[in-house]
Amino acid sequence: MPLRGMVSTVALLMAVLACPVGTLAQNSGHGKSADGWPQPVWDQPPVTAQNRKAAPRRDLSGMWGPAGGHMAGVQAGGVLAKPNNGRPENQLPYTPYGLELYRSHKAAEGIDAVLPADNNDPRNNCEPLGVPRYNHYNVRLTQIFQDEAKVVILYHYDNRWRVIWTDGRKLPKVVDGGVEIDGELREQRIFGYSVGRWVDDDTLEVQTVGTLPEDRVWLDSTGRPISDHVRVTETLRRVDYDNLEWSETIDDPKVYTTPWQTMKLPMRLHDPHTDVMEYYCSPAEQDAYDKIFGSAASQKK
Amino acid sequence: MRGRLVIVLAVEVVMSAPLFAHHGSAAFDNGKAAILKGTVAQWVYSNPHCLLTVDVKGEDGTVVRWIAETQAPSIMYPAGYRKDSFKVGDQVTVNVEPVKNGLPIGRIREVVLADGTTLGGTNSVPIPPKGQ
Repeated sequence: MPLRGMVSTVALLMAVLACPVGTLAQNSGHGKSADGWPQPVWDQPPVTAQNRKAAPRRDLSGMWGPAGGHMAGVQAGGVLAKPNNGRPENQLPYTPYGLELYRSHKAAEGIDAVLPADNNDPRNNCEPLGVPRYNHYNVRLTQIFQDEAKVVILYHYDNRWRVIWTDGRKLPKVVDGGVEIDGELREQRIFGYSVGRWVDDDTLEVQTVGTLPEDRVWLDSTGRPISDHVRVTETLRRVDYDNLEWSETIDDPKVYTTPWQTMKLPMRLHDPHTDVMEYYCSPAEQDAYDKIFGSAASQKK
Repeated sequence: MRGRLVIVLAVEVVMSAPLFAHHGSAAFDNGKAAILKGTVAQWVYSNPHCLLTVDVKGEDGTVVRWIAETQAPSIMYPAGYRKDSFKVGDQVTVNVEPVKNGLPIGRIREVVLADGTTLGGTNSVPIPPKGQ
């Protein structure tokens, strides 16, 4: 039963979680469980010419995971397309302000990583990562639901969900401090304002603007910056029934002199019955961890 | 059982790859390994990292309490780490990458249980759940 025009975000989330998934994969591998709680199968056999099935028209729904395995979407070393490893081909086109921002970020990962005691990643306080960083932080089982008006992505990390409107609404205009909708200044959002359009029967192009300012969010775990003037363009292309390609380009004139591609992540369809273990950021558990381990690990010699 | 602590210096190509870690790779002494043989004192199966506490008796009889972390439960589950993988008093051999500051803490690369079962790192061969 598809979702139908729900306006309540709470109702939406409850509905999508309860939505039957009968249209999903039959050949995506199936972890067995006597009690009906199958775990992810990360080593599914490859799709071949013999078992390849055509992609359903304009349908991205399903439970997806990085095709390269459960660690393939981690991106601790920086965004997939340009890991922050110091190589010339991965240097970014920073504006002077962007470079200043980067240098103010003390990351725990990447070529300029600092010791944990000096790390100022907003993630450490369980702050929301924002768009586009959710696409670059431990992407694992990722669920997509959709109806005639929207596509909803459920991220694994911190049980976050995001709405992409596909009903033809306009992408808001970015203005200082937020976006403009119907002549009004509207607030910046953690997930921004996302609209998608079908480029063809297999490809959804998504534009996102109106995200949080640069003092709240990072682009990736190596401290690369992102500003509230970014326009994020994603393409979700269903290559065939079992495969999806998730690409992303950012255009952020405040921070980067030119647009650049951050990600091209192949995703593989998983069995819709697959159990998804929680992976959340709890301040209480974080505090307990720091007392037992983290604080000692952070000490300098 | 008399425990032994052996510090092994080893250059491992795999350790040059960035690992996801809440506190980042910079805290750890990449390329070093500490092999700990000791007794489990605590096993915490929680976000953001699981924590295994092991008491290791040195040659002089002094007991050093080591704390070793893995990644979060959802990340380590495929590698076979369960809520009841370790019980207080279990004898284990733990291969950890220690931190740079010299304190007896590190992150787990591999654990060998008393029955010989080996639990590896994040990219180790998956250990399926019982009944799957």
